Amino acid sequence: MILDPKVMQFGGSLIAILVLAGIAWGMRLGGKSALADEAAVARAATEVQDGFEPVRTSIARGGSAALARDDSGRIMVIKRHGNRFAGRILTRAARVREEVDGLVVDPGEASFGSVHLSLNDPAYWADAINRL
Amino acid sequence: MPDFQPTQYAVPLFVIAILAEMVWSRLRAPEAYEPRDTLVSLAFGLGSTIAGALFGGLSAAAMIVVYEYRIFDFGDQWWTVWWAWSVAFVIDDLKYYWVHRAGHRIRWMWAAHVNHHSSQHYNLSTALRQTWTGTFTFGLLFALPMVLIGFHPVMLAIVGGFNLIYQFWIHTEAIDRMPRWFEAVMNTPSHHRVHHATNPRYLDRNYAGVFIVWDRLFGTFEPERDDEAIRYGIVKQLGSFNLLWSVFHEWIGMLGDVWRAPWRHKLSYLLREPGWSHDGSRETSDMLRQRWKDRMGHEPAALAVPVANRNPIAPPTEAA
Repeated sequence: MILDPKVMQFGGSLIAILVLAGIAWGMRLGGKSALADEAAVARAATEVQDGFEPVRTSIARGGSAALARDDSGRIMVIKRHGNRFAGRILTRAARVREEVDGLVVDPGEASFGSVHLSLNDPAYWADAINRL
Repeated sequence: MPDFQPTQYAVPLFVIAILAEMVWSRLRAPEAYEPRDTLVSLAFGLGSTIAGALFGGLSAAAMIVVYEYRIFDFGDQWWTVWWAWSVAFVIDDLKYYWVHRAGHRIRWMWAAHVNHHSSQHYNLSTALRQTWTGTFTFGLLFALPMVLIGFHPVMLAIVGGFNLIYQFWIHTEAIDRMPRWFEAVMNTPSHHRVHHATNPRYLDRNYAGVFIVWDRLFGTFEPERDDEAIRYGIVKQLGSFNLLWSVFHEWIGMLGDVWRAPWRHKLSYLLREPGWSHDGSRETSDMLRQRWKDRMGHEPAALAVPVANRNPIAPPTEAA
């Protein structure tokens, strides 16, 4: 069987990119960032929304996510994305569900996904988000 | 007629350079790469070659038609006119500046170009994060004047290929600054890091392809500062490694806005800048920058001292 050169080129390229990504994984590039303290949350928050200054924050155990509220009442959810962070300011479309060890926050944006947070104060945040 | 695609020959060099940068990253900055992000970027590159094969013929056909109406004729053996190659390269780079600027300032164009910016990382794999949907914008219009002047479409494809190859190596954090004379004239890693930044100071700056002089000339140049760490990506980070969402998210958002908008505003959602909304509920890059400036204005001498000194929670070189 003789394959079309373009098909072979596509196949070769596909293998090459999988190998490159595999090498990046094998070299353990990236690592995992963590939100260690309130300052880290503040930095991540202002990257999501310039000028967002948290007055109250809660960091999920392990530092993979956080919730932050500013003095105007806006609530932001921040999640680890790869070894960076991404976040959303929650709107009325947001949904929150309490679980045994924390909260599941859904910003209402399917592509962003729900964020699971193991928190010490889930009730406060569930109430605050439900009031939006 | 030359049958030559420079980018095809450059692919092995791209692979070697990415491997070398990964080794650098392992030794110096492991966080510069993220395997899933790298896979998405490389898949973008592969997909863009398929999109080019599928749709590139449309642009080529249009250019060949327009070429029939050229003002100047370099002759049947136009490829032997050596100086025309140099002139074409420079004018094509000027064209690139404007089509790139339009790519950031017109949402229809941004819908295709945002792909190149959606990584929160800045490394050589990011350079390969090329659009799949460029054919569905009006970027071709920027090239037609060159064809009308008399530059053959094949010549433009070749010089455009070299332009693209040049831009590959500037997508890195491994190189700090080039010599001053080089930074003054050429696009460099430093200048292009600014272009990929989401810091309000840097938004919509440094559109250059090869020659940074266009930005200096047209007022869009911004130098990289050592006291402000760059954060990469887009203003509203995707938060997803889904390839198809990464490719089409802005098209979906834009068309949804057009669908929902009152009739008199529908066209504006195509032709105005990203972030514009008819009810003022969103922010453009100009609005973000102005709000940032206003905020900094309320903090006296904020720009006079390094960020790390005025903001004790930020470690050195963190963005304010």
